Amino acid sequence: MAQRLALQRLLSLPTRGPLASHGRALGTSAGRRSTLNVQDGSDFQDRVVNSPKPVVVDFHAQWCGPCKILGPRLEKLVAKQEGKVLMAKVDIDDHTDLAIEYEVSAVPTVLAMKNGDVVDKFVGIKDEDQLEAFLKKLIGA
Amino acid sequence: MIFWSLVEGLEALLVQKKFGRKVAVLDYVEPSPQGTAWGLGGTCVNVGCIPKKLMHQAALLGSAIKDAQHYGWNISQPVQHTWSVMAQGVQNYVKSLNWGHRVQLQEKKVKYFNIKGSFSDPHTVRGLTKAGKEIVVTADNIVIATGGRPKYPAHVAGALEYGITSDDLFWLKKSPGKTLVVGASYVSLECAGFLTGIGLDTTVMMRSIPLRGFDQQMASLVTEHMESYGTKFLKRCFPTKVEKLENDRLQVTWKNADLDTEETDSFNTVMWAVGRAPDTKTLNLETVGVKTNSETGKIIVDASEATSVPHIYAVGDITEGRPELTPTAIAAGKLLAQRLFGQSSELMDYDNVPTTVFTPLEYGCVGLSEEAAVQRHGSDNIEVYHAYYKPLEFTVAERDATQCYMKMVCLREREQRILGLHFIGPNAGEVIQGFALGIKCGATYPQMMKTVGIHPTCAEEVTKLHITKRSGLDATVTGC
Repeated sequence: MAQRLALQRLLSLPTRGPLASHGRALGTSAGRRSTLNVQDGSDFQDRVVNSPKPVVVDFHAQWCGPCKILGPRLEKLVAKQEGKVLMAKVDIDDHTDLAIEYEVSAVPTVLAMKNGDVVDKFVGIKDEDQLEAFLKKLIGA
Repeated sequence: MIFWSLVEGLEALLVQKKFGRKVAVLDYVEPSPQGTAWGLGGTCVNVGCIPKKLMHQAALLGSAIKDAQHYGWNISQPVQHTWSVMAQGVQNYVKSLNWGHRVQLQEKKVKYFNIKGSFSDPHTVRGLTKAGKEIVVTADNIVIATGGRPKYPAHVAGALEYGITSDDLFWLKKSPGKTLVVGASYVSLECAGFLTGIGLDTTVMMRSIPLRGFDQQMASLVTEHMESYGTKFLKRCFPTKVEKLENDRLQVTWKNADLDTEETDSFNTVMWAVGRAPDTKTLNLETVGVKTNSETGKIIVDASEATSVPHIYAVGDITEGRPELTPTAIAAGKLLAQRLFGQSSELMDYDNVPTTVFTPLEYGCVGLSEEAAVQRHGSDNIEVYHAYYKPLEFTVAERDATQCYMKMVCLREREQRILGLHFIGPNAGEVIQGFALGIKCGATYPQMMKTVGIHPTCAEEVTKLHITKRSGLDATVTGC
């Protein structure tokens, strides 16, 4: 299976699903950015709420130690999901209204969002296995 | 109900919400002349108690590292301190508190406006958002808790352009370096104390007495300790001008009142700690008739925190004649809310409020100073028990305990009620807190003597005080 996928990627053929009419170039997973830093409320609306793919939203703060550990760990595992889930990062001091709207109290708070709804959530640090399970559940559900 | 900023405001409005009232809070921080600003929570959280105590702790740890060698730790001396690491840690914690306050407001469904409000009539406040939009809020009751800001000296050239204040010190990203702290307040001494403790060349310039309003014997011991600790003092001096040098250092010129000379030196940083004043100019108080003290600018309130205008109240540093302390402001705010919306008639009790000066050797006190007791009752009617002691932890560390001292001021008549307790030593705040309860309950000297001490502690020496000043006997504690 893996060999077939690798071969297809090499030939720049779609692996499955819709064709390249979506204008999405297929590249290796290393080239694809699956993380976005939310710029403002409408950015959040466009790229998270209205996202066709599920999104994990990482609410973090500059002053939060655990956030600095969770962030990269989550990013790594999201990248591992090969584009099935995207990640959005929201700095709660820059986007206080958004954080308040989504009832963030402690940080880090991670929301799992699908079709604009919050379907799962956790607060605080998680290890890689826990994060992997969280992501798989979001993708699978 | 609108609350105007600060921690005590937040406490009061949380009580409000318990009673099902609609509450809004207006909070706005005018940046300091040097451009420093901060988030929700008021002076204590952002530029006062919290960062102060954390930096004081950083300095104490420095002393502990020095002591550690005597206790067997192999640490190569001297140990260096990096300002930016400390500052980052402190600033991060403060920001987490800002967020915590924001969350609390949200959870209690309090409307929050980040606007600089001013009165347009006794029930209306208006202000502009950062985006320039005008917001108008009306309320049945309004509480003003906007606090104070550090003063700049009036007649010193260069003071405003080149000096900083405590508003800026805690938010500096780079070390202040060789620093001159001007002032004799607890702000001045506490800041100079921790700057010295982290290894910076620090000087305090005082015009007259240290810690005005505090017991002066204790104040002298505090400054004496600071001197032996390494802080330089320029006593009976006042600055005349501050100029910037080519290498970005500041040249300060001052008059020495004792020697009648003019002196000068250069520093990296000059910090003014010459008092605090309320920021009432922009509130538009005259328009609505809220009376202020013409000298201090503070709002005049009665025992129920009411101003001269019905339904407008004030709590905290902005009020005339109240201690400028966080806990009293918070308590006053809570009680006010309970009186307005609960069935309570309890007024704030401002008597026997304990406090602590967090200088390198801390000074904690509750009740009357010796001078105040003498003035109120006459020296023949009071008895002062005192003792010089040595904290056990200082012994092995070979630390100088010369200024470790305590005294208890009591009435001399039969009951011998304790009027005041004063303690200089490590953890003074922790030591005094419990005794404050006793004094609140009217504890007497015989009751104190019946209280058994915990051993080995410094606090136990309070329960063993028996040498009076009157006896003239040596008050040094001996034994175990």
